[in-house]
Amino acid sequence: MTLTNFRYGDVIHRCFRCGYCKFPINWMDVNNCPAYARFRMETYSCGGRLWLTRAWLEGEIEWSDHLADILYSCTACKNCEVKCPLSFNIDILNMMIAAKSEMVERGEIPSAAKEFLENIQRQGNPYGTSREKRDEWMEGTGIEAYQGQEYLYYVGCVGSYDTRGQETARLLGKVLQKAGVSFGVLGNDENCDGNEVRNLGEETLFEMLAEDNVAQFQGLGVQKIVTLSPHSYNAMKNDYPGFNGVFDVLHYTQLLQELIRNGGLDVSGGYNAKVTYHDPCFLGRWNEEYDAPRAILRAIPGVQFVEMARNRNGALCCGGGGGNFYLDLLGGSEDSPARRRVREACETGANVLAVACPNCLTMLEDAVKAEGLENKLTVRDISEIVGEACVIK
Amino acid sequence: MDIIACIKRVPDTSEADVVKIDPSQKDIEKDRLAFKINDWDEYVLEAAVQLKEKLGGTLTAVTIGPKEWDEVLRRALAMGADSAIRIDQDVSADDPHIVAIILDKVIRRLPYDLVLFGAQSEDFGSGHLGAMVAEILGIPHATLVINLEAEEKKIHVQRELEAGTLQSYTIDLPALLTIHTGINQPRYISMGGIRRAMQKELQVMSLSDLGLSLDALTPMVKLEEMRLPPKGKEAELITGAPEETAGQLAKILKDAGIF
Amino acid sequence: MSSILVVAEHRNQTLADVSYQVLSKGRQLADQAQMELLAAVAGVDIDAYAKELTRWADRVIIVNNDQLEEPLAEPYQKLIAHLIREIRPGIVLMGHSSFAMDLVPSLSVELGIPLVTDCVDIFWQNGDILVTRSIYNGKANASYSFAQSETILITGRVGEFPVEEGQRQGWIEEIEFAFEEECDYKKFEGYLEVEAAGVDITQAEVLVSVGRGIKEKKNLEIVEELARVLGGVVSCSRPVVDYGWLPSERQVGLSGKTVQPKLYLGLGISGAFQHVVGMKGARMTVAINKDAKAPIFSVANYGIVDDVLKVVPALVNKISELKGRTE
Repeated sequence: MTLTNFRYGDVIHRCFRCGYCKFPINWMDVNNCPAYARFRMETYSCGGRLWLTRAWLEGEIEWSDHLADILYSCTACKNCEVKCPLSFNIDILNMMIAAKSEMVERGEIPSAAKEFLENIQRQGNPYGTSREKRDEWMEGTGIEAYQGQEYLYYVGCVGSYDTRGQETARLLGKVLQKAGVSFGVLGNDENCDGNEVRNLGEETLFEMLAEDNVAQFQGLGVQKIVTLSPHSYNAMKNDYPGFNGVFDVLHYTQLLQELIRNGGLDVSGGYNAKVTYHDPCFLGRWNEEYDAPRAILRAIPGVQFVEMARNRNGALCCGGGGGNFYLDLLGGSEDSPARRRVREACETGANVLAVACPNCLTMLEDAVKAEGLENKLTVRDISEIVGEACVIK
Repeated sequence: MDIIACIKRVPDTSEADVVKIDPSQKDIEKDRLAFKINDWDEYVLEAAVQLKEKLGGTLTAVTIGPKEWDEVLRRALAMGADSAIRIDQDVSADDPHIVAIILDKVIRRLPYDLVLFGAQSEDFGSGHLGAMVAEILGIPHATLVINLEAEEKKIHVQRELEAGTLQSYTIDLPALLTIHTGINQPRYISMGGIRRAMQKELQVMSLSDLGLSLDALTPMVKLEEMRLPPKGKEAELITGAPEETAGQLAKILKDAGIF
Repeated sequence: MSSILVVAEHRNQTLADVSYQVLSKGRQLADQAQMELLAAVAGVDIDAYAKELTRWADRVIIVNNDQLEEPLAEPYQKLIAHLIREIRPGIVLMGHSSFAMDLVPSLSVELGIPLVTDCVDIFWQNGDILVTRSIYNGKANASYSFAQSETILITGRVGEFPVEEGQRQGWIEEIEFAFEEECDYKKFEGYLEVEAAGVDITQAEVLVSVGRGIKEKKNLEIVEELARVLGGVVSCSRPVVDYGWLPSERQVGLSGKTVQPKLYLGLGISGAFQHVVGMKGARMTVAINKDAKAPIFSVANYGIVDDVLKVVPALVNKISELKGRTE
């Protein structure tokens, strides 16, 4: 059986595998496609995946577990789209997602992706943990339920359930409290934002999540949203308007930057460290917000900021996108993108690797342990660094 | 080959601490639980769909339960079932014997060569509904089926026994099988598929449509009381970050002479 | 009630363990109510089994018939139905084996008698028999009573009833039983034993055993590494075999192998009874699971509540370090 509904059939042949999709912005090496970096086979690069998809489309190869693993190892980091010199580059990532959609419709996806999506259908989060436990992260924080405050603080699944994610969710809440921001959360009524669901090719489930969330936000009179995760930010800012959900959406780094600039947040407590910053794909390449996190770090006394060789739109993905923080198709090797990334962070001489995404946080922190770099490098979310600078215990 | 798949909906109790006993002590508290298709029944549907893809014929999914149970039938329809029947009656805590009598009445109205059940359910797990139905229908059965090959008039099956032993049978059709996990890899059912399945027919029947009344169905066993199991001994917990717990455990293992 | 009848099961020249277990329970229930305990065994060359059973039963019924040599549901259903009609026991008790699962539901329908399967307790209350079942995968218990019936049918869970040494000296009675017709619609074709391809987990001193908590087949790599540094082998619970990540010869539990290693390290295994029954003989059990309430923690000596994929790499490092120091 071959692809039947593929909507890019007339353009996919235009990739002639020049290989640019694997480069970072400055041609320093060829390992900026996270899946290619992990496996070092053309197959796993965007060009390789496009050729495989075309072969599948034209009946030259059949679906296999291996083909599914290769397509799902794409983290949707958008490096290929930024680097592809051809005019059809705006569609190459969508082609990957469309190929995954075809696998979803046929039900033939990697077992971890099946589990991920079924857990979201059932419990509204990829972990399959009960919906009734979604608010456990906020115990004892005094954070209020959303009831018409200025901002809806949308936490997301990783912030709500992952132990490390929960710490940043709490700390951001405390920072917002300290700055006197009027905000509330949805607690157990919060549902998955759907960003990764869309990247995994489950279009209808994404539509349902988006429709439900938009209806819920509108029902509550939400106008401004601040998100912990760049993934939520991306879905709500770029996709929800397509479901009549037009909100004023901010990533928390944008809000904190503004609060620091207008004096609403006092960071004079400082943070003494040599800090480098890892751009999350869904804040950076997907939404071109490179400055807010850097501005925050530069504003904190004691922070000595250094860039990694690959930064901004040339940053290497942590390997956690496209659901891979859960699917983990790129783990288990010293070539895993997260491990490459923490080695790169170490080379700057920084002792703190700042992130602005709970997915990157867990991916990179695990990589630091796997590399045995615990004594040299600590991974901190910017919310935690700001928390320390404004003296929150 | 005409196939009937009997499936059910169960609460998701995979997390240990979500199970609490209802004040009636006859049920667990269900209002805060998420529900899903019974694990074994996913394998039933996959096996049924694979047989239909290979041999043609019809596939009918059947369940007994209130309106919310349509959800599992929609999954079956999305997966490739041609039609679905729900008997509108809550029997989830009843004697399986009663459930078997109802199912017999439904199945008799339909064309079938093969009737499939899950080997057991995630909730009560008594594992005997399928074979009871077979006996009432008067057709041969095999439980705990882990391999299945079908021909026109007969099937070859392997049952899973204890200690890694399989037992092979050849059975004439019509027959009833209860399907064990691991017989296949159930496919993912997309939400798009489920939405499209909303177009397919889903028939709802009452007990009286089947010529039955609940009063006339006398249970032979009665649920007296539900409670949480007594607490056993607990492991000595090692706490801390992974580095610390791993370090402590390594030392414990070393002291125990493991390495 | 007149008597309790235990139907014994045998294969490969061995009486099933679970038959001894329910026989012990049957003895206890019979003593408590001053009832006669009967045991039945059928097949060919069954005298030795019968003698064995007399240690518990007051009377052992033997049926010599080559069609009853293998534990197959159809012929045994006919035999047991016949015995129940002839003897009219108050309770018929069997182990909840794959054999019983194929047999007792149809038997209960044929005779119109109540059935409760897979019981973890069977007890008298005010002269009536009650049973307890474990439901929701061990997360709750439910007790049941029976409607008025001359005979009730109960199967008991494997490993739930301790075997107590039999003190009786019952007598043996042979009953003639012949089949009227052959069962031509369901043909038994034989057994298939899963072959061990090189790895015999029952012989390992250290088992590193994985469950669905390892999430992906690929994560077996680090688990293999842990097994290597510990000098053990990798075994698993049923879902791992169902997913095709490991062959069934590596499976521990009711439908897999029974193991008694020096160390059993359970990784991402929740500890369903079907699994625990195969590993509870381990001398030391350590469980790592992120669900603090997982039943495996009430079997284990030591536990770590965390994500397996975070602890295992660290554990490999720590063990290697400690080994490095001594070597």
